[in-house]
Amino acid sequence: MSAYKTMKIITLTTVTFGVAFGGLYASAQEKFGFGRSVDKDEIARYDSDIHTDGTGLPEGSGNVALGREIFEYQCALCHGENLEGVPEMGARTLHDGRRDIKKLPYATSLFDFVRRAMPLTDPGTLSNDEAYGLVAFLLVETGVIDDPDLTLDAKSLAAIKMPNRKNFIIDPASRFTAEDLEDK
Amino acid sequence: MKNTSLTNGNRRQFMKAGMATSAALLSSSALAQETVLEPSRGPGRTVMEMGYYGERSEYVKDARLKGNRGTGLIGGSLTPLQHGHGIVTPSGLHFEVHHSGVPDIDPSEHKLLIHGMVDDAKIFTMEDLLRFPSVNRFHFLECAGNGMGEWMAPRGQTVQQTHGLTSCSQWTGVPLKIVLNELGVKTDAKWILAEGDDGARMTRSIPMWKAMDDAILAYAQNGEFLRPEQGFPLRLLLPGFEGNMNVKWLRRLEIGDKPWWTHHEDTEYADPRPNDKIRAFSFYMEGRSVITSPSAGMKLNGPGFYEISGLAWSGAGTVKKVDISTDSGKTWQQANLEAPVLPKSHTRFKMPWTWDGKETNIMSRSTDDTGYVQPTYEEMYKLQGPIGMMHNNAIQNWHIAQDGEITNVRL
Ligand code: HEC
Repeated sequence: MSAYKTMKIITLTTVTFGVAFGGLYASAQEKFGFGRSVDKDEIARYDSDIHTDGTGLPEGSGNVALGREIFEYQCALCHGENLEGVPEMGARTLHDGRRDIKKLPYATSLFDFVRRAMPLTDPGTLSNDEAYGLVAFLLVETGVIDDPDLTLDAKSLAAIKMPNRKNFIIDPASRFTAEDLEDK
Repeated sequence: MKNTSLTNGNRRQFMKAGMATSAALLSSSALAQETVLEPSRGPGRTVMEMGYYGERSEYVKDARLKGNRGTGLIGGSLTPLQHGHGIVTPSGLHFEVHHSGVPDIDPSEHKLLIHGMVDDAKIFTMEDLLRFPSVNRFHFLECAGNGMGEWMAPRGQTVQQTHGLTSCSQWTGVPLKIVLNELGVKTDAKWILAEGDDGARMTRSIPMWKAMDDAILAYAQNGEFLRPEQGFPLRLLLPGFEGNMNVKWLRRLEIGDKPWWTHHEDTEYADPRPNDKIRAFSFYMEGRSVITSPSAGMKLNGPGFYEISGLAWSGAGTVKKVDISTDSGKTWQQANLEAPVLPKSHTRFKMPWTWDGKETNIMSRSTDDTGYVQPTYEEMYKLQGPIGMMHNNAIQNWHIAQDGEITNVRL
């Protein structure tokens, strides 16, 4: 792009815009008209995050056995056979402390993270079935769910209530309110 | 002959004197006509030999230092604050923390998608973003884990190890609210998911009020395009919020009505509270300060004058004052804040000090314009308990031994 090679000066059409931006996001401020509008299909190619109500969870399903198998091959190297963590690989225990799976507020976030970020050296390569299986395995292995045959799909994963969710609190000194904490 | 060489000699002396800013050298050389002159250096390197992107002197060796954690894909490197001057961190020394390494992104292919609760979802190229009106702002960044290794006991041997996960730059970019206005954000939208284009697609939930306040889509740092490790070609800048939220390699913003509770905001970057509680949305980097010189790893060269110099900052506002104790916390004196003193920016403080040669401890304590006073470790423990660590902004103590040796010791 030109701007990255030379300091090309781009002439702006004269636009006035107010500095003030009221409480409402709708604004009388004039638009510049830059950027290209996109449709749903194009958005779908980029939009892979999972909302806490399960929006975005893909098709497919996986059980604990599948998860355990994938974990042994692709994850144990860093996370340890028993999820105890291998410090030299930068991974901490998933049973305790700050990375304790039991302490997560939402199973949806666990799925979201595993599918987009793991395995660390090859992120984005897990199939949906594998990601469901891995989440099932992790939840059973850390004692969140007591069901060695657990199978997860979009519906059952979204329905999981994590026991620690209630322990997340708002700092009274912060700008956040109890409403920010609520499931809508 | 003699005259000519003298003229040359004088000129060179003058240039040297200029560099040393020593007027004395200039006047004595002007008088010293009969002395044998120092030999000429001869011609230096040409403009062509120097190259067209300036390198620093080969005698200057300051460098970042790899953090303790991880393989380098996860983890980062720390800024050598002990050798810093003023408030700007050179871009090449700015701290870095990554969760999936540093991607290599061609700016001509980079796009930012903004969608969700908007009238008109849009994709912006870098060229589009560069056309918007821009702002330049000095802001610090600080990793929420800056000083986490210090939580239980002092471990860092230098201020680079104890505090090096903060740096300060002049950032250039377009205010996020200007870009959001292009799309027509729905009024019940309250949160934004920011997603990076690194391998792990780092995501964080950003409150809408921050986006509409001072958030910047930044493409430049200290007068040039961002460095790759700082998010080239585009990063989110949320002044005063923990480093991790300032998502690098920004590729997507999704507008929503509730937070996503992404992995990093639930675990690593959330703060424990007593009774197994966890503080959600611990975004602000609160007021903090540290004496960068003299600091641990240095040695005072005998009693006498020293300038105490350090950095203070606050994610909630502007540094209002910094108090310094040179007698282990018994008495405090106000340091001078050196201009510019800017909101959510590093602020340089200084205080002249004469060391009497006796063993002592020195420390600094900042207060910001919200009235927030930097806490002691004791106060931090009460707040977070033993598994704390993140958002550690406690007062840092440096111990000075009788031989001048300075170490990281907790009182
Ligand atoms: C090369 C080492 C490596 C491999 C292989 C790996 N991980 Fe990770 N994993 C990590 C590291 C390091 C973190 C911490 C991530 C961070 O802080 O951003 C992590 C984080 C996690 C977390 C969140 C807990 C935490 O510590 O933040 C989960 C869950 C996880 N990994 C699951 C998996 C699964 C499932 C696989 C296999 C498909 C896998 N990992 C493979 C290194 C690895």
